[in-house]
Amino acid sequence: MLKAAALSVDGRLYNISLEVHAGECAAILGPNGAGKSTLLNALAGLLSASGGIYWMGEELERIPYIKRGRMLAWLGQESAAEFAFPVRDVVAQGRFAHGDDNQRIDEAMAAVNISRIANRAVTELSGGERRRVFIARALATGAPIQLWDEPASCLDVRHTLEVYALARGLASGGACVLVSLHDIRAAYRFDRLIVLDRGKLVADGPPHDILTAHLIRQVFCVETRFLTSLVPELPDGEYI
Amino acid sequence: MSKSHLIFAGFALLLFFAIVASMALGEAMLSPVEIWAAICGAADESSRIIFFDIRLPRTIVGLFVGVGLGASGAVMQAYFRNPLAAPGLLGVSSGGALGAVLALTFGGWFGIYTVPLASVSGAFLAIGAVILLARKGASPEHLLLAGVALNALFGAVTSFILSASAAQTHLNAQILFWLMGGIENRTWEHVWMAAPGILLASILLLPLGRPMNLLALGDSGAQSLGVDVRRLRWQLIVLSTVLTALATAVGGVIGFVGLVVPHIIRLLDGPNHRRLVPLSMLGGASLVLLCDLPTRFLGAGTRLGVITSLVGGPFLLWLLRKRPC
Repeated sequence: MLKAAALSVDGRLYNISLEVHAGECAAILGPNGAGKSTLLNALAGLLSASGGIYWMGEELERIPYIKRGRMLAWLGQESAAEFAFPVRDVVAQGRFAHGDDNQRIDEAMAAVNISRIANRAVTELSGGERRRVFIARALATGAPIQLWDEPASCLDVRHTLEVYALARGLASGGACVLVSLHDIRAAYRFDRLIVLDRGKLVADGPPHDILTAHLIRQVFCVETRFLTSLVPELPDGEYI
Repeated sequence: MSKSHLIFAGFALLLFFAIVASMALGEAMLSPVEIWAAICGAADESSRIIFFDIRLPRTIVGLFVGVGLGASGAVMQAYFRNPLAAPGLLGVSSGGALGAVLALTFGGWFGIYTVPLASVSGAFLAIGAVILLARKGASPEHLLLAGVALNALFGAVTSFILSASAAQTHLNAQILFWLMGGIENRTWEHVWMAAPGILLASILLLPLGRPMNLLALGDSGAQSLGVDVRRLRWQLIVLSTVLTALATAVGGVIGFVGLVVPHIIRLLDGPNHRRLVPLSMLGGASLVLLCDLPTRFLGAGTRLGVITSLVGGPFLLWLLRKRPC
């Protein structure tokens, strides 16, 4: 569904080839500066890269912008807002390429628990609330490919778990979900890990198979002890 | 009726009032009845001349200057994602001003058209230079810095000409008057020079309100949602330049309209550009026409550009105190 062939970005990403399929919930993991955001931006067509990028079998270069908006949702790392748009208007922007759909917009806001602040100005919100507004905008697109860059930044533990559960829910519904992470501990919540280090792909597979003490030492330069520690979870069957 | 409809109706009413006042008030007063008679062809000769040859072109020029500056300000603020951006930020106004000052100083072959033509040429040369200097994909930051540099350069040359011509009192006064903006003695030639271009650019701008909303929250986000950001940015630069260049060509340098009007409207109605752009056109036209009224009574020293800043500045401060943004 989403494919990169020998993807390189000048000085930042080297010869990355990968495929993420429909129904897959994958995470890109790596230390600061490893190229996680660069890879997501390149896959989303937001910066120029050499090599091939294909969305649902179509070469990205040949897909008109408006159609791209229907096929892929991208959530950036920053959630800055200079102008005081009401929350609902920001979420409704997700429907730009499709046409307005009030039900989808309401559902997207409910999914990240922002319905009660729908009329507040986005500039008045806390960092975490604003983050959830932009996640809702990505959800409102209903796009089959979802690329989220550090979606849990600024979020408290409860909302972090909800966002990961949302990502998993989208994949269960047939979407192709690719999320970047800097927190190793969240890695086990995903089906598949794509590990980057200094712009190169160094490991790709299920977290239990590839996340070894050796790899973590090599990539993050830290020692690891695999112990049981505090692991917060959402109550059974609940994620709102 | 929703709040937005009320605000639209309020601004439309304000503009209607400003248009009627602009046609009625002056050294020779025309009552609404006399204006109507002139429109119907039933007025006496002097009323007809005052209305058709003096008041109407002045009003139409003021209307379009205000529409151009208001809309251009709204565009620049969305373009730079900064509510403090103004139409002159990229050097369009100062380029236009320099062109006009050169034409006033050295003369030209196009009679009444000389100064406006020189001003439009200066404005387009300025934006061309900014884009050329910025190159590197003409990112907003590069454009902004190139604009700042050219504004300083053009301003310095204009000041030099002004000081060099200090001994020629008449020329000096002409340049100063032009630099402070004004729409007195405007003729139908000025209307035809500015109105069609400003009208066309305004019409082309209106459908861009929705993509401008997306652009206001970030380039990458806008592009990922389906906006061709590069193309949109070019459209906005070209349309904003046409609006500012033509407004400056027939009205001189009129400060503050493009900055204050979109700002006031954002405080009243929010930042949705689908409403902000047309409301800025109505608000800009109203402000220019209303600010032109005192210049008719307060003597030669009161220039339109001075009044717009004198009125717009305190009004914005009052609004900010009432409702901080």
